[in-house]
Amino acid sequence: MRRIDNRYALTVIYALLTIYALFSVIPFFWTTIQSFKTPRQANSRVPLFIFEPTADNYTDLWLKTIPDDPLLVAAVLVAIFGLLAFAGMQARRFPFPRGYVYLGILAVGFAVLWSIPGYVRTQTFYDYFLNTIIVTFGTICISISIGCLAGYALARYSGIAGVVILVAALGFRSLPGMSYILPYWWFGQRSGLYDTHILLIITLVAINQPFTIWMLRSFFMNIPKEIEESAMVDGANRLTAFLSVIIPIMWPGIISTALFTLLLAYSDFLLVRILTQSNWTLTVAISKYAAGEDPGHITLAAAAAVSAAVPIIIVVFIFQSQLVKGLTSGAVKG
Amino acid sequence: MNRRTFYMFMSPSLLVMLMLMVFPLVTSVWLSMQFMTFRNINTPEFVGLANYLEVFGDRKFWQAFTFTMTFIAIAVPAQISVGFLIAVLLDQVSSRIRGIYIAAFLMPFIVVPVVGTLMVKQLFESGGIVAWAYRALLGTRFIFTEQSVKSLIIVHSLWAATPFPLIVFFAGLQTLPDELIEASMIDGATRLRQVRHIMIPHLRSLFVFVGLISIMDAYRVFDSVFVLTEQNPIYKAEVMMLYTFRTAMSVQRLGKANAMSVITVVMILVVLVPFLLRTYKEQTEER
Repeated sequence: MRRIDNRYALTVIYALLTIYALFSVIPFFWTTIQSFKTPRQANSRVPLFIFEPTADNYTDLWLKTIPDDPLLVAAVLVAIFGLLAFAGMQARRFPFPRGYVYLGILAVGFAVLWSIPGYVRTQTFYDYFLNTIIVTFGTICISISIGCLAGYALARYSGIAGVVILVAALGFRSLPGMSYILPYWWFGQRSGLYDTHILLIITLVAINQPFTIWMLRSFFMNIPKEIEESAMVDGANRLTAFLSVIIPIMWPGIISTALFTLLLAYSDFLLVRILTQSNWTLTVAISKYAAGEDPGHITLAAAAAVSAAVPIIIVVFIFQSQLVKGLTSGAVKG
Repeated sequence: MNRRTFYMFMSPSLLVMLMLMVFPLVTSVWLSMQFMTFRNINTPEFVGLANYLEVFGDRKFWQAFTFTMTFIAIAVPAQISVGFLIAVLLDQVSSRIRGIYIAAFLMPFIVVPVVGTLMVKQLFESGGIVAWAYRALLGTRFIFTEQSVKSLIIVHSLWAATPFPLIVFFAGLQTLPDELIEASMIDGATRLRQVRHIMIPHLRSLFVFVGLISIMDAYRVFDSVFVLTEQNPIYKAEVMMLYTFRTAMSVQRLGKANAMSVITVVMILVVLVPFLLRTYKEQTEER
């Protein structure tokens, strides 16, 4: 009898939940609509819901000139990425380990993305998109590699030093990014790394490291000690046991943590805004569309916002179960 | 695991945190005692505590401080109470429909903050749907003024930050045993009293945790204010982080900006240290 069974009360509950859900999604809905309008339609006195959609905002945003045969280019791209996605889903059927399949898919995907400007004249917005991919991917790789080692050590070591490190990390995590970023700016200027991807990647790794080790540690703690102990009895040392026995069963935890690292790196605004001058990521590039005098800026801003949101929504959609799991378990355990 | 192996596994991560978290904080204190602009990055001039004195005498700093505190005082209780209300309601709904609601609720939380802010702003632009409703209902145009931009910052934070308390409270409610609710029903408790006397006490530690995180997130709010004010000072809606940013990047007073950031760190530590001590105790006991 935990739930209410009174019909009127239930109607009120559903109504309130639906109102809040609408409050959450209306900005997405409206921005998407605006992004397919001409500036004139977008600025009309009465909001238009029925209109002839145009893709001009997106082509203006991404392309300098439209290729002669846009449909062919689009079809080729869809075919390539569709094939890659299919290969990813069928990875276990290949005659060699799945890891190689995923690596191959990533390599081909990157090669295709980077060769596009050779065939189609793209805007700088596309360069910012590629920058975002480099920075996000680099951050995830480094952050998860060193984070796994640390998270495992913290899960298995019972000395007081482990606790001190964890609590210190929590403290560092709670301070605003600004306190680190102003000194980073100064390092960047002094060392000549200002405005490079490397500086962005290592600083993002550092800023996300406390969160990464806490989250990975909680996943490693769920893995029974006996697993690596039995491997070590068979003569493997700690590192071999870790790499060959623990990591393969840790993938769900690693993916979950990687997803949060991706969200953090992809979203970061302040750090990238301060540490770059021209090598922006999408987030910073988009903030430029917030202000503007001409009526066209509204639709262009809408297209930019939708363009940046779509990759994240795709990733979250693919990995949604890991996301909710990480969010609830990590948060409730504190 | 012995000590040596622990430090071997720990060293890469520890090195990163020492070099890029501890060292920058120390550097920040040193930078805060220099007079430094973009011109003399390599030859800063030591001025002692002059930057701090300047910050404390700066009217704009106090303006930013007041707005930040007002923002925390309004936004955080609003986020927590709305989040709690929706979590309790969501707990009443059958689990099949929950998934759809949760997906909708999480959208603002997952989207990039700058993008989310731009999307909320779209509603209020000329031709936007809320701007239209505003005109239809009140008869005047919606214009960006000091008051409206400040309210917009708060409404946006409610939109963007409520999903966090919501999801945490909802997950917490799932750990509440059904027997407790049933027992109270037999005793004749009303739904409202169940919320007051069973659910809220059950979630007490989560309220503390969520409250702390929300306060700190509200304190360091930057992206949304940056986008909504377009860095335009006429709205007088600068928060601490934005004022620090402008002092460093637009006014180019790096020493002064670092002094502000040191002051911020000290203020946050006052709130944070009791929580860290509690975590330390918990973790040492758990070990």
